[in-house]
Amino acid sequence: MRRLALIPLAVAAVLLPYGLDRYAIHVVDVAIVFALLGIGLGLVMGVAGQVNLAQIAFFGIGAYACAILTTRAGLGFWVAAALAVLVAVAVGLVVAIPALRVQSHYLGIVTLGLALAFINWITNTPEAGGSEGISDLPVPPMFGIDLTSEHLFYYLEIVVFAIGLAFALFVVASPLGRRMRAMRDDSLAAGALGADIPLLRVTAFVLSGLYGGLAGVLYAGLIRYVAPETFSVANMFLLLAMVIIGGRQSILGCVAGAVALSLLREVLADFSVYAQLGYGTVVVLMVVFAPTGLAGLPRLLRARLSRHRSGERAELRPFTPDDPAPVQGGGDMLEVRGVSMRFKGLRALEEVSLTVPAGQIRGVVGPNGSGKTTLFNIVSGFYVATAGRVLLEGDDVGGVAPYRLARRGVARTFQNLRLFGDLTVRENLLVALDHTRTAWTWRYVALPHAVVRHDRALRDQAARLLDRYGLTAFADAQPRSLPYGIQRRIEIARAMALSPRLLLLDEPAAGLNGEEVLRLAEMVRSLRASGVTIVIIEHNMGLVMSLCDQVTVLSGGRVIADGLPGEVAVLPEVVEAYLGEPAYLSDDNEDAPEAAR
Amino acid sequence: MRAFLQTLIGGIGFGAVYALVAMGFSIVYRTMGLVNFAHGSVVMIGAYAASTFSMTVALPFPVAIVIAIVVTGLIGLVIERVLRPLEGRDFDLMLIGTIGFGTVLEALAILIWGATGHAVPSPVGSAPLDVFGVRVRAYSLVVIAVAAGATVLLALFLRRTKLGAAMQAVAMDPQAATAVGVHVGRSNAMAFAIGAGLAALAGGLIGPMLYVSPVMGGSLGIKGFAAAIFGGFGSIPGAIVGGMAFGILDSFAAGTFQGYSELVVFLVFTVAIMILPTGIFGERTVNRA
Repeated sequence: MRRLALIPLAVAAVLLPYGLDRYAIHVVDVAIVFALLGIGLGLVMGVAGQVNLAQIAFFGIGAYACAILTTRAGLGFWVAAALAVLVAVAVGLVVAIPALRVQSHYLGIVTLGLALAFINWITNTPEAGGSEGISDLPVPPMFGIDLTSEHLFYYLEIVVFAIGLAFALFVVASPLGRRMRAMRDDSLAAGALGADIPLLRVTAFVLSGLYGGLAGVLYAGLIRYVAPETFSVANMFLLLAMVIIGGRQSILGCVAGAVALSLLREVLADFSVYAQLGYGTVVVLMVVFAPTGLAGLPRLLRARLSRHRSGERAELRPFTPDDPAPVQGGGDMLEVRGVSMRFKGLRALEEVSLTVPAGQIRGVVGPNGSGKTTLFNIVSGFYVATAGRVLLEGDDVGGVAPYRLARRGVARTFQNLRLFGDLTVRENLLVALDHTRTAWTWRYVALPHAVVRHDRALRDQAARLLDRYGLTAFADAQPRSLPYGIQRRIEIARAMALSPRLLLLDEPAAGLNGEEVLRLAEMVRSLRASGVTIVIIEHNMGLVMSLCDQVTVLSGGRVIADGLPGEVAVLPEVVEAYLGEPAYLSDDNEDAPEAAR
Repeated sequence: MRAFLQTLIGGIGFGAVYALVAMGFSIVYRTMGLVNFAHGSVVMIGAYAASTFSMTVALPFPVAIVIAIVVTGLIGLVIERVLRPLEGRDFDLMLIGTIGFGTVLEALAILIWGATGHAVPSPVGSAPLDVFGVRVRAYSLVVIAVAAGATVLLALFLRRTKLGAAMQAVAMDPQAATAVGVHVGRSNAMAFAIGAGLAALAGGLIGPMLYVSPVMGGSLGIKGFAAAIFGGFGSIPGAIVGGMAFGILDSFAAGTFQGYSELVVFLVFTVAIMILPTGIFGERTVNRA
C-alpha cells in the first residue's frame, strides 16, 4: 500500500517543472541540494547522535573540490564530481577522529572550529580563488542534454535525491541504523551489547561526508560558481535549524524541514533579517516544546489524546523457561586475580581475587561503596584495572573493549537501568540480537537484499524472545513509559539476547516487589539451567541466600569473605561490615530460611 | 626579542578578553551543565551596548560598560528562563536551543544597529607606551587590569558570599543543594546573569580593539569556548590559562601564518583536545555505569 502512495509522488515530481518559471525552478533546485545536506546532518546528528557542526564544510569541500578539479586541473565534470565526493568522504573520515575522543559539546566546538578553519582556508588560498571564489565551472555534459537549463538539471537532481533518500531510509531502518540509534541513546549500554562504538561513529561521519559531498557536487553543477559565503557558519546554523524544525531523528522530517526553510528563505529574501529572527525563535520554541520537530508532532498529539482515553492495560506475561542445556564452557568461567582499581586518590578495589566455576550462580554482596559495581565495570571492560588480571575461560581479557567482550559471551545489566529510551522494546532486543560486526557494513551498498534477509531473521528471533520473557504486549512501547519491574525484565531479556556464557546482573531486584523478586529468582535459576554462568550483585539478602551457590563479600574494596551463603552470613567480620547491624542480614522474607539467625 | 615581547603582550591583551569570555562559559557550565552557544552573541550585544552608550549617549566608558553588563544580564535571565524546562535532561537539545538564541540575538543586533558595524575609539590615549624598549598599547594594559580585577571579584564572590557558596553547592550536587534549602533555579539564573555580565565586560573591552559588528560574536564566542575547554571546562583558573594560551597562540599565529592564522589555531586546538580531552585543569570524568 505504502509503495502505491509513491506513484503519485513520483508523477508530481516529474510534472513539477512544467508548472514553474525559471526563477521558481532555481529555488526548487537549491532546496533539493539543501534537502540532501539535511539528510546527511540528520544521519550523523539525529540518528547517530554526533553533534556535527561541520556539515556545511563537507558541502563546501564537495563543491570546491569539484570546482578546483574542473577549472584548475582541467578534468571533465563527472570525473571531478566523483573525485570530489571521495574527497568529502575522506574529510568525513578525518573529522570522525576527534569524535572518537570527545563527544557532545566538545565535539560541537571541534567540528565548528574545523568548519571555520575550512572557511579560513578557502578565503585565503589563491587556488580556491580567495573571497572571490571560482566562477565559470563547466556545464556537466549529459548525452547531449543541455544541463544549463535549470529545468533539466532538476531531473538530474531529483534522481540523485531519490536514490539518496531511499538509501538513507534503508540504512536507518536496518540493523546498522538501529545500532546507531542505540549508540545515540546510551553509548555505554550499546557498547556492552556488542556495538563497536568507534567504527559506528566513523560510519556516521562517512555518511555525513557522502551526503555533503553529493550536495556540493550538485550545487557546483547547478550554480557553476563557488564562493566562501555559501559555506559560512550562518548557513551552518540555518541548516541546523532546518533539521531541528523538521525533526532530527526522522530523515523525512529533515527533508521536509530543509525544503520548507529553503522556500521560506526565498519568499522572505527581502526581509532576510526578519527571517533569521523568525527561524531562530522557532528553533528555540521547537527544542523546548517539540524536541522531535515537525516529524514528531503526530506522535506527540496522539500521546496527548490517548492520555485522556483509558485503554486496557497490557499485562506482563510469565517467563517461559528455556530448555535445559549443558553448561557452556568448562572449568573456571571467570577468574579475577589480584585486581586493584584506583581513581586518583581513591582506592576502589584492593587485591580482589575470585574464581567463578562454569555453571555457578555467584553472589557478590557488600555495603554501598564497597566496590561491587567497579568490579563489574572491570569485568565487562568499562574500566581497565590498575593492577591484576581478569581471565575469561583462561584467556586474559584485561583492557579488552566492552563490545569485544560482549562478542566473547559477557553480558551485563546495569544498576540504574540503561535501556535505549527512544527505541522500542523490540528494537532494544534487536540491537542485542544482531551479532554481526560493523565491518559487515559494506553489504549495505553491495548486497542490500542480504541485509533485508538478515533483518527479517533477527525480527523472528526477537519475536520469540519477547514471547519467552512475556513482553510481547509491550513490544512496540518505549521502555521509559513502562513500570520499573517491566524495565528490569526487559534489561535481562536484552542481556540474554546476546546469548552470553557469563551474565553479570547488577542489583536486578532493586525496586522490585516481593512477588517480582520471587519470579526473578525463578528466572535466574532457569537461565543457569540453560547453561549460563551468573554473577549477581544484590542487596536483597533473602534472594542472595536462596539463589546463590557461593557468595563473595566485599568491604572497602577488599574481599572479606568467600564461601557458602549460610557460612558467610554468620561470620563476625561480615556482620560488622554491614554497619555492625546483624538485623540487616536477617530482615528478610520467607524465602530465606537459611539466612543467619 | 623585542618583536617577540610585543607580540606576547598583544596576545595577553586579547587573551585577557578570551579569558573573560571563557569564564562566562565556565560559570554557566559548572553551575548547570549547559553550554551556552549564544554566549558569543551576548558578547557582541555587550560590545554594541557599551559602544552605543559611550559614543552616542556620550556617557563615560566605564559607566557605559556597567549599563551594558546590566542589559546582557537581563538577556541571560531570559535565556535561562526559556530553556529551564530542558535543564538536566537533554544536553544536546539545550545546546541547539542556545544556538537558536544566538541567531535571534544576531538578527536583533542587525535590526537595531544595522549590518555594517562601526569602529570604537580607544577610551585612553592611543599613543603606545614605552616599557623597557617594548612598545605597548596603553589600552592593552587597561584590558589586562580590568580582566584581572573582574577575576578577583568573581573568585571572592564564589568563595566569600552566601550566594556564591550556594552556587558552588548547586554545581557539585543540585539535589543535595535543594535538600539544604538552596533554590536551584534561582542559583542557575544567577549563574546565567553573571556569565552574560562577563560577556558584556569582554565585549565592551574588546570593542576598541576590534571592529564592532553583528558577526563579531561568532569567532569570539568560539575562541572563548575553545579556551574554556582547553583550560578545563568549568574551571575558573582553567578559563584564565586557556584564554591566555589562546590569545598568545592567536597572536603568534597571526604573525607567522598571516591570513591562515585561524586555520592553524583551530587545527592546533583540535589536536590539543584530542590529546587532553578534559583540558589542563579539568576533572577526569569517569563514565558511571
